[in-house]
Amino acid sequence: MAFLIDCPNCGRRNPYEFNFGGECKSAPAQGADMKAWCNYLFFHENMPEFQDEWWFHTMGCRDWIRVRRNIATHEIRSIEE
Amino acid sequence: MAKTQKLLPFKQPEKSYDVVIVGGGLHGLATAYYLARYHGIKRIAVLERRYIGFGGSGRNTEMIRSNKRAHETLPFYKESLAMWYDLSAELDWNLMAQQKGIIALAHSDPEMAAMRMLSDSQRRAGIKIEMLNPSELKKLVPSLDVSDKPALPIFGAQFHPEGGTVHHDAAVWGFAKACARYGVDLCVGVEVTGIKLDGTRVTGVDTNLGHIAAPKVHVAVGGYSSQIGRMIGMKFPVVNFAMQVMTTDIMAPFLDHYVASPRLHFYTQQTLKGDLILGGPLDHFQSWGSYTTWEESADRAVKIVEYFPDLAHVRIVRTWSGLCDCTGDSAPIMGGCGIDGLSLDIAWGYYGFKSTPACGKYSAEYIATDRVPEKIKHFGLDRFFNRRLVREVIL
Repeated sequence: MAFLIDCPNCGRRNPYEFNFGGECKSAPAQGADMKAWCNYLFFHENMPEFQDEWWFHTMGCRDWIRVRRNIATHEIRSIEE
Repeated sequence: MAKTQKLLPFKQPEKSYDVVIVGGGLHGLATAYYLARYHGIKRIAVLERRYIGFGGSGRNTEMIRSNKRAHETLPFYKESLAMWYDLSAELDWNLMAQQKGIIALAHSDPEMAAMRMLSDSQRRAGIKIEMLNPSELKKLVPSLDVSDKPALPIFGAQFHPEGGTVHHDAAVWGFAKACARYGVDLCVGVEVTGIKLDGTRVTGVDTNLGHIAAPKVHVAVGGYSSQIGRMIGMKFPVVNFAMQVMTTDIMAPFLDHYVASPRLHFYTQQTLKGDLILGGPLDHFQSWGSYTTWEESADRAVKIVEYFPDLAHVRIVRTWSGLCDCTGDSAPIMGGCGIDGLSLDIAWGYYGFKSTPACGKYSAEYIATDRVPEKIKHFGLDRFFNRRLVREVIL
């Protein structure tokens, strides 16, 4: 595989062990209108640059981690639990 | 010194056009062709930053079919499929279209039931669909293992006789040559760096070769639409995934049909050349890169050998991947985006190749008349805000 994910609990692992959780976004504030919620749900940056995203280690520690990854080159900058 | 002749007359873009199409893939070329031929628009430019047919147009699995699910999309795909078979004559270029028939395997009774339901919606749209039992299936595809040996034995299948294949490179050439014949300027190596707006109207595009003025700009950039979105300060409901494809050694012809398993997520066909194309699911994580992995190759190999045991010693010789720009509801985005003169033809994800002709036809109609044609009225970007998502599935 082109890259490995250094899981804080399990060490360097194959990305196929994980489930991908998408771009990290912050939910609209309570009472926000429907347009804000639709934006939050369906619309994505999806740019070839570094982004924060969620990964779930399905075949390992079963923990959600935040990964900062370049989605064009798959280079990983930081991983937080 | 041998005499060389350019096959396509590429041009430097002029300073202004009636319509500028961003993206020189199949959708962009098809739109330009229908605009030039059927709507009498004379000054059209197709701008392509890499080369004609670079993206999904050259990296698909050549399948054309209309066995989809949603009633909003079925008439569109049905028309597109019918158009493919007439295009060789229309474009005066052999697209090598073959009506092979597509077989979707079911591995359990519930799956058979689901397929019957799917078949009913397809029949209602006028699409020919048959259900097959294992012995009928064995007659159609003698090399298929319909015994109970595979881990998930075959319970039956859905047969879509009108589906088939078209040679993707031939399609690109056909549309590109037809565009050139009808006076469309094909400009390669021209990268759009900005979209110029005047209030809520588009006035042209900025490129690496300077500004090009145009009252209408059409975005047919495939998996690269988010970059256009950023130029106009918008996000699109699109996430890119890579889909990997493999081809095998060349063999004598043994497989006449396109065989797919929606449950196991693999599909295969034998090309005219003799190699098998192995297609499969999208990779599960977002990607803009084109890569292939050992894991996916191994997965395809295991599945294909499970159902075609004779292929145990065949090698995978070549792999590639393409970008699939997927929306949440697996339906595309066509039509306007709230900016006058700027039209979209994006988010085709898994289905871009098979929809090319209808897409070109209706995009052209939209650009020329400013009215949303009936067949694409459900594909608008506004559906994400007024809760009118299309009930389509990835399969």
